[in-house]
Amino acid sequence: MEIQQRTLIQKRIGIMKTLAWFLILWLVLAYARVQIWKGREMQKLALAQAVKTRTTPAPRGLIFDRNSNKLVDNRRALHLVIQFEDLPRDPGQIEALAAALQTDPDQLKRRVVAIRQAAGNRMLVLQDNLDDVAVARAEVLRARFPFLSIEVAPRRVYLGEDLAGHALGYVGEVTPEELAKDPGNYQLGEIIGRSGFEAARNDRLKGVDGQRRILVDNLGREVATYGVQEARPGRSVYLTMDAGLQQTMKEAFGATQGAGVVLDLRDGGILALYSSPSYDPNVFLNRLTQEQVEKYWDNPDRPMLDRVTQGRYPPGSTFKLLVAIAALEKGIITPATTFTCRGHKSFYGRDFRCDAVHGTVNLVQAIAQSCDIYFYELGARLDIDDIYNTAKKYGLTELTGVDLPHEVRSRVPSRAWKQQVKHEKWYAGETISVAIGQGANSLTPIALARFYAMIATHGKLLTPHLLYGVRQENSNDIDLFQPAAPKDTGLDAGIWATLDEGLYQVVHSGTAQASAIPGLTMVGKTGTSQVTSFVDKAHYASLAKKLRDNALFAGYAPRENPQIAFAVVAENAGFGASSAAPIARKLCQYWFIDRLKKPLPPPGAKLPDAFRLDPDLGGEDDVAR
Amino acid sequence: MRERLRFLDSRMILPMILMVIMGMLTVYSAGRGTSQSSLWLKQSVWNLLGFLALAAVAAVNPLRTFRSALPLYILGILSLAAVLVAGHRIGGAQRWLVIGRLTWQPSELMKWLTLLFVAHRLGARPLRDITAWDLIGASTLVLFPMLLVLKQPDLGMAISFLPILLLIPLLKGLKARWVLAAVLGVSLLGVFSWQKVLKPYQKQRVMTFLDPGADLQGKGYQINQSRIAIGSGGLFGQGFTSGSQTQLNFLPVKTTDFVFSVWAEERGFLGVLLALGLFGAVISRILDTARVAKTAAETYFCVGAAGIITLHLVVNVGMVVGLLPNKGIVLPFFSAGGSSTLSYFLGLGVVMAVRYRAKTK
Repeated sequence: MEIQQRTLIQKRIGIMKTLAWFLILWLVLAYARVQIWKGREMQKLALAQAVKTRTTPAPRGLIFDRNSNKLVDNRRALHLVIQFEDLPRDPGQIEALAAALQTDPDQLKRRVVAIRQAAGNRMLVLQDNLDDVAVARAEVLRARFPFLSIEVAPRRVYLGEDLAGHALGYVGEVTPEELAKDPGNYQLGEIIGRSGFEAARNDRLKGVDGQRRILVDNLGREVATYGVQEARPGRSVYLTMDAGLQQTMKEAFGATQGAGVVLDLRDGGILALYSSPSYDPNVFLNRLTQEQVEKYWDNPDRPMLDRVTQGRYPPGSTFKLLVAIAALEKGIITPATTFTCRGHKSFYGRDFRCDAVHGTVNLVQAIAQSCDIYFYELGARLDIDDIYNTAKKYGLTELTGVDLPHEVRSRVPSRAWKQQVKHEKWYAGETISVAIGQGANSLTPIALARFYAMIATHGKLLTPHLLYGVRQENSNDIDLFQPAAPKDTGLDAGIWATLDEGLYQVVHSGTAQASAIPGLTMVGKTGTSQVTSFVDKAHYASLAKKLRDNALFAGYAPRENPQIAFAVVAENAGFGASSAAPIARKLCQYWFIDRLKKPLPPPGAKLPDAFRLDPDLGGEDDVAR
Repeated sequence: MRERLRFLDSRMILPMILMVIMGMLTVYSAGRGTSQSSLWLKQSVWNLLGFLALAAVAAVNPLRTFRSALPLYILGILSLAAVLVAGHRIGGAQRWLVIGRLTWQPSELMKWLTLLFVAHRLGARPLRDITAWDLIGASTLVLFPMLLVLKQPDLGMAISFLPILLLIPLLKGLKARWVLAAVLGVSLLGVFSWQKVLKPYQKQRVMTFLDPGADLQGKGYQINQSRIAIGSGGLFGQGFTSGSQTQLNFLPVKTTDFVFSVWAEERGFLGVLLALGLFGAVISRILDTARVAKTAAETYFCVGAAGIITLHLVVNVGMVVGLLPNKGIVLPFFSAGGSSTLSYFLGLGVVMAVRYRAKTK
């Protein structure tokens, strides 16, 4: 090789060497940027994907009735899930899994995508509440699909099934909408009360979820655990409800649709609350089948509606007591005032009818016989706003404040109401109908019961409530719930005596004689009204069922020393005296007589703190394995 | 003993030994708790065999080695053809020959055989007499095995043949008009094939190649995990077998393509500096050898060898940190693998033989 050429090559090799070192410098700078400049950030990313916080769901508080009968229990249930970070990325894998689970692969793909895009590390529940066979099958699946895991979570068990569906409600996972509305209160995937008492007192029932910090590998498999914070279960809650009375009410209603509620006159505690048809809350813990959606949600009978607090019924004759109070307070009549009933009478040029020809009756007789003419006369002499103001004074226009969600306000019409809602002025003739509890009147059963409780307590407005107390965390003592102090309406003693006598005569000599109980003075007022608007009339017409009236009965017992007040509505059942009053009668029969007849246990035996509503449904120790 | 190993160049062999040890530790750490937990043992056997092969080749006069360049080249081409006909298939690619319990990847060795033959052919002519036709002929000798490798398909490996073409600027220098012509030609060809030749799915592949971030589930995911591993090494590293990215398997293919990420996570920036410094030392030493080589063919071989090592270094180390697209390419001395280890040692053995002959006259 010639010298000249050789030096040229030497020079070029030198350039290459420099070039090589420059490339290495380039790499050094790139690594300096990632390792020194961005090192902290990358360390955080590494930790974020390796250290996971898994929530241990806290069991909700158990629910007992006032005698410690367990109504709602928790059980451990196993779910087949995919943790968020294990969600498969490979569509082929999802298809294989769908084939193994015998589900629709496209639907599963959509669910995987939805979960991955949702905020928070939510897991995908493939199958919930696994039984023994399903667990065995799931274990086999896990061998094939290592990203699957089996999670243990507490699960509600409603021991009474449809005994008190509406009162207890049920639970479900918090929805994204609720989460968006109140992010401070809920966590994603949290189980919250969806309806009934579970929803109304969710804050008392829910526990504090535990947390577990774990180290996971790239497949989300737990490699190590540290920092365990145990879940704190929710505290056990006692209801004012008496399971026996509730059971009596359920049986008394049978297939009859309607609603009934019994209040404890000492503090407004709800002893029984039943809406018929009832439902079994256990059903709503799972994803509903199409059949169940139709049965519960698309049913024209509206079984999901709590008729006690959300159903509004024209009160019929049970409203007459309020009209009587209005007339007496305004001085239009005295208890001795009489009107003559000839079976019908014309007011404002229209003929109004009565059920019978009652002759000349005073107020007590008019209440006892449920004479409409007497109250038409009062309606003709009262202004609608007089009735409204009286209703307002005695609590009929406000929410009762019951601790159940979505309570509906009762409606007593007024001029202002009609102007606002119908944009029409009030006609005096309408007051005639309102005076006997028809027209635009409509009351919830719980408001009606509260009104009769007001009469029973000489004018005290109670706050109906289901919460009795909460068991202390580390003892069996109960922190009793202090209900709101009753509001005194200042009902005049003379007026009260007249009403009390009238209600006594209803059962003693009037419309509800047949429902009298020997040895017990139950008093109350019957009522009959047209079928309400919340049941689909067209549906009944299509079934060729005869549209009959709703029957009502409201009152209290015993007369001498009232302890309970009640309101019962039997839908589509005809006269109040023939269908609603017998239900009330059975309630009183149980509460004052049968309940106290239960034999005591033999000496030395354990007091019955829990009569099992269904012996097959076990206690806390039952575990679905 | 010292006298016997006199043909081994200590300034090249010592950084190599250091890197091989670093590599084995890294493979050990990466394989822990996985099905590859004993891979480091296997790799140390390969390394040992590699050193023996290196010593054997280094002891041979390079002129004798060059003399068998043609039959070796033909043998290499035949082995690549055999791969395409009867190769072992793993995951859509047919790159391996299985002989008994041994899996051999002929393309690794073929790089060096091609370099050997091209260097030999160009070296046989006086530099002045080398024409454009000689260069085209040499390029063809490189492109033919490259095409066979592309057919497997193995783009990363095909790219690692390219440094051999470095010999052209070495001989002819870089003239601005040549560079311009090459750039123009390649871009015209690119535009033409993009519009007329490539099918949509092929375009998709090119796009993924150009922008790995767009494909976060596949290759982009790997790069992302690798960057996290490297970054969390920080300045001093997480310590031996203590990197969470490695130990918890977030890092993919961590014993081969991404082995340097493991090293970076465990040893930090200082470890990276050490490794890159050692590579720099080896590459410098090879280029120094090229300068002192006795014959033109020897010089060419050394330049090509430096090119191959540099390309592997830059593409692999640049790829795992996200500088370059994600292409499967191994890192010499670090990545586990029998064929590549043995091939590098054989190639560097020739470089050492060149150095020994230049030193001893």
